[in-house]
Amino acid sequence: MSVLLDVKEITKSFKLKGYWYHKRKFTALSPISFAVEAKKTLAIVGETGSGKSTLAKILVGAETSSTGKIFLNGQLLQSQRFKQRCQHIRMIFQDSGTTLNPSLTIQELLDEPLILNTELNEKQRHQLIRTTLQKVGLLGDHMNFYPHMFSGGQKQRISLARAIILQPQVIILDEALAALDPSLRSQMINLLLDLQQQMGLAYILISHNLGIVRHFSDDVMVMSHGEVVESGKTIEVMRNPQHKVTQKLMMSQNIQLK
Amino acid sequence: MNLLDIRNLSIELDTPNGRIRAVDKVSLSIKEGEFRGLVGESGSGKSLLAQAIIGVLSDKWHVHADRFHWRGIDLLRLTIDERRALLCRDVAMIFQEPMSCLDPTTLIGDQLSEAIDTSQLSGHFWQRKKQRQEAVIKLLHKVGIKKHNQCINSYPHQLTEAICQRVMIAIALAGRPILLIADEPTATMESTNQGQIFRLLANLNQLKNMSILLISHDLENLTHWTSTITVMYSGQFVEAGTTEQIFNKSMHPYTRALVDSSTKANLQLPTKSRLMTLPGSIPILQHLPIGCRLGPRCPRAQQTCVSAPKVSNFHGHKVSCHFPLIREITKKNSVKHKKVKGIK
Repeated sequence: MSVLLDVKEITKSFKLKGYWYHKRKFTALSPISFAVEAKKTLAIVGETGSGKSTLAKILVGAETSSTGKIFLNGQLLQSQRFKQRCQHIRMIFQDSGTTLNPSLTIQELLDEPLILNTELNEKQRHQLIRTTLQKVGLLGDHMNFYPHMFSGGQKQRISLARAIILQPQVIILDEALAALDPSLRSQMINLLLDLQQQMGLAYILISHNLGIVRHFSDDVMVMSHGEVVESGKTIEVMRNPQHKVTQKLMMSQNIQLK
Repeated sequence: MNLLDIRNLSIELDTPNGRIRAVDKVSLSIKEGEFRGLVGESGSGKSLLAQAIIGVLSDKWHVHADRFHWRGIDLLRLTIDERRALLCRDVAMIFQEPMSCLDPTTLIGDQLSEAIDTSQLSGHFWQRKKQRQEAVIKLLHKVGIKKHNQCINSYPHQLTEAICQRVMIAIALAGRPILLIADEPTATMESTNQGQIFRLLANLNQLKNMSILLISHDLENLTHWTSTITVMYSGQFVEAGTTEQIFNKSMHPYTRALVDSSTKANLQLPTKSRLMTLPGSIPILQHLPIGCRLGPRCPRAQQTCVSAPKVSNFHGHKVSCHFPLIREITKKNSVKHKKVKGIK
């Protein structure tokens, strides 16, 4: 399998308040390198403040990295060219209720990325929105509804539809499954796994829930204070956790793999 | 003796389209020293039930019950003031998001000392201040905060969420309650802090013999800590029993689906396989199905499910379903016996 997303030596540091000759820095990410293949899932786990979300933001282009390079299919992603990046890397956020614009219908919401990134005419866009909604398990007629008319699980499906409508290659799930109710969460996991098979997507899953991580991901990366402390195949890491942080996480969730 | 005994409690809400039954005939009983979990997805009325117990629902909600006893006293016969006086002495509640429940403009120490009742302090008025201070420090030690001086002199925003939740528990403990109701105390916390809070609650339960009603939306987080569990769905009672019974021998299709869909309970499942799940989504309050509210999503639904099922009791394992899963188990056993006989 070819490598889809290749991240090399990414760092991020923030300048803190300080004097001219006494500049202080806060390092959010120490050099991080990893690679994701198509149809595979990389899970990132860690405590709050370990730099998981910063990494996600850098990948999707909402923040620029201090140093380092990101390659997608062997092509360098430049920090200024959002068009290229936002077609291929999309993100789903934790709280779907607040990420959808309440004053737009679903059709207008899904139309926006299409108008900005593609050259389809109105009829084609309409057709694409319809098929995408059906793909995530909603009806085509739902496109005339406003976000408040949907339940939490359906809203999360709409944000998924917005993510996959541009046929991306990588989707970043930033705690996207955490706020859902258990029965809807398993529906969503099934849907995501189906889409991965159909469209050949690569996922980057950021999650606290190790049960989901075990079920959903192929590789795992444990982070602490901006550093990767352990990484490898999910099963192997969870069977035999080496680092203290990993052991603590597994202990706190009472998970033991044999 | 049962501390709290509720039979067929309904909570109704007046809307322009008529009265809606948000909670429909739920029974709940808590024994002394019990650690009970109350599980339900969003909109299942678990928080409403908790608010009805301590009597903080506003006037637009109508509460009816066949029986509503607190330690043998019928609460429905008392006036609202008498009821509050009784319950605020014996019951305490902690909430989700401790940061937003504490007063952001007051020091933690002041908030804690406010919660300590004067009747608990002995001595003359000039000794009271010192005693109060000591009581505050004792409370903080009780919930496992060692740096009491630092904690007393800080504002809520200066502390982490787990510490804030501990302070909330300390405030709840100030009245020396017999029952502590915890309404999703760890909803916004990460797993390591969650464990700390659950462990603290379990300690209080075992060492101080305090009864705890722990409300949560996630079955898999609870099972390690609780002794008994009640499951609710969309305002209706589903199943109640010991944790063992609920998790391993669940009889209701909904509980079965919850356990099967949990990734933590099914660690032997191959990765990336499809999870068992119920189709559809949780009904909204305006469009509740008649009869058993699980009906449209239930894999075992039949025609009789349009009438609400009665609660049946199997050795303390209560289940509210027309077609509980118990029969399958007995059938399987009988088949096995026949086979054995055949071989002989």
